Amino acid sequence: MTKTALRTSLPWLLGVWMVLVTLGAFFYAPSAEGFKGESARIVFFHVPQAWVAVLAFCVNLVASVRYLRRRKALDDARAAAAARLGLVFSVLATVTGSLFANVMWNSFWNWDPREVSIAILLLIYAAYFALREAVVDEERRATLSAAYAVLAFVTMPFLIFVVPRIYWSLHPDTIIGATGKLKLEMESRMLQVLLGSLVGFTGLFVWLYTLDVRLARVRLARQKREEG
Amino acid sequence: MPGSESLVWVAAVTIVIWLGIFAYCMALDRRVRRLEEEQ
Amino acid sequence: MRASTLLSESLAVLAKELKSELRSRVALNAVGLFGLTTLIAVAYQIGPYQIQEQDRPHLLSALLWVILFFAATSGLSRVFVKEEDAHTAKTLRLAARPVAVLAGKFLFNLLLLAALYTFIVPLYCALMGYSVKGVPSLALVLAAGAIALSATSTIVAAIIARASGATTLFAILSVPLVLPLLVMLIQGTRAAAASAALAAVLPALRGIVSLGGATLIVSVYLFPVVWHD
Repeated sequence: MTKTALRTSLPWLLGVWMVLVTLGAFFYAPSAEGFKGESARIVFFHVPQAWVAVLAFCVNLVASVRYLRRRKALDDARAAAAARLGLVFSVLATVTGSLFANVMWNSFWNWDPREVSIAILLLIYAAYFALREAVVDEERRATLSAAYAVLAFVTMPFLIFVVPRIYWSLHPDTIIGATGKLKLEMESRMLQVLLGSLVGFTGLFVWLYTLDVRLARVRLARQKREEG
Repeated sequence: MPGSESLVWVAAVTIVIWLGIFAYCMALDRRVRRLEEEQ
Repeated sequence: MRASTLLSESLAVLAKELKSELRSRVALNAVGLFGLTTLIAVAYQIGPYQIQEQDRPHLLSALLWVILFFAATSGLSRVFVKEEDAHTAKTLRLAARPVAVLAGKFLFNLLLLAALYTFIVPLYCALMGYSVKGVPSLALVLAAGAIALSATSTIVAAIIARASGATTLFAILSVPLVLPLLVMLIQGTRAAAASAALAAVLPALRGIVSLGGATLIVSVYLFPVVWHD
């Protein structure tokens, strides 16, 4: 298939896929035991959002390292695009997580290590954009934000892996075990919907990210023409 | 299923939200494609 | 090409920092003032008697680090911001290798933190009636914490030095990076206070040391990039 054909058809496929996933989340997957009412269903949206937030972080890191190596403006655009999406999805993940926490344990925030991790990821993204806003020169902005992204990436593992071992976690064990690994103990139908949702959200991220980068390419080409 | 009526409502709202997001993204897609063609 | 070694250059940068700091004492004053003021406010209002016995381990370890962090932040960003303000940055770029500049400034921040801790921690323990069973363990946690905090602060200070609104930006950028460190430090302090055994602080210590080490290594790679025009 040609690139244009793919570019036209894949979004539609994603649209249909997500409708199916939503229907599956509410009607195909069974109710979860041990959870208040149907509240567990939010997991089908919350987990993929958190996953995309982390994925965006990794994409941002790769683009940042590339920028520091090659100094190509497009790499900086890629990093910023990934970070923008990362910010959106980490906000979504924090909000859905809070809603779930309120239903289950009657409080929006519990200082559970995993809750804190996603909040910190959010803070990293916010700091990243605060830094970008504060630097006027484009090359300096790209260099400094890339440097911060690399620094932040080095610090993150310590929060995710070190702190949870010291503290007990509120996070439901049936879905994500205390070691942070995905325990495949879920009912198969729930697992199917969860995986479907993961694929869908990843697809959404890829689509929006690609659009952002294509837009940046157009802008950069226009800039070059105006200068040249 | 307990409270299946409210479940239908939540599912419907979620789908509407998704369709809204999807429409917005498609509009963006179209805009980018137009800009690329203008190049 | 250069007659001097990396070590001698770093020490020269450190010496310059110390000399200029001792002349104006801005960072020392700020850090000391903030530390002392918060400590006195806490000690006066709370003191050794206002906290229930069962809450003491948690509260006392957390409060100590709130005071220390608050005081530290006021002085740690100065190492690079003052170079930009005084327009001496360009000269420094010519005079020393980037890694030497990083090392010198890191050591300066480290000494600043060491001074802060030596001053505040014993005072805190005395004023708050904080009995620490494992003093050597606590000293280790403090030392590791100082290294890690200095490492993070120095590279972040370098990043924000030439951006507008430097001090606020320093806080915003540091918070997400320093939170895991803070959590581990509080946990380590609590462990050291509760038991004299070294094993009690080992989990936290391991985390702090690895975080500090990783930050230092990454700083060595990132700093030259950030430092150059």
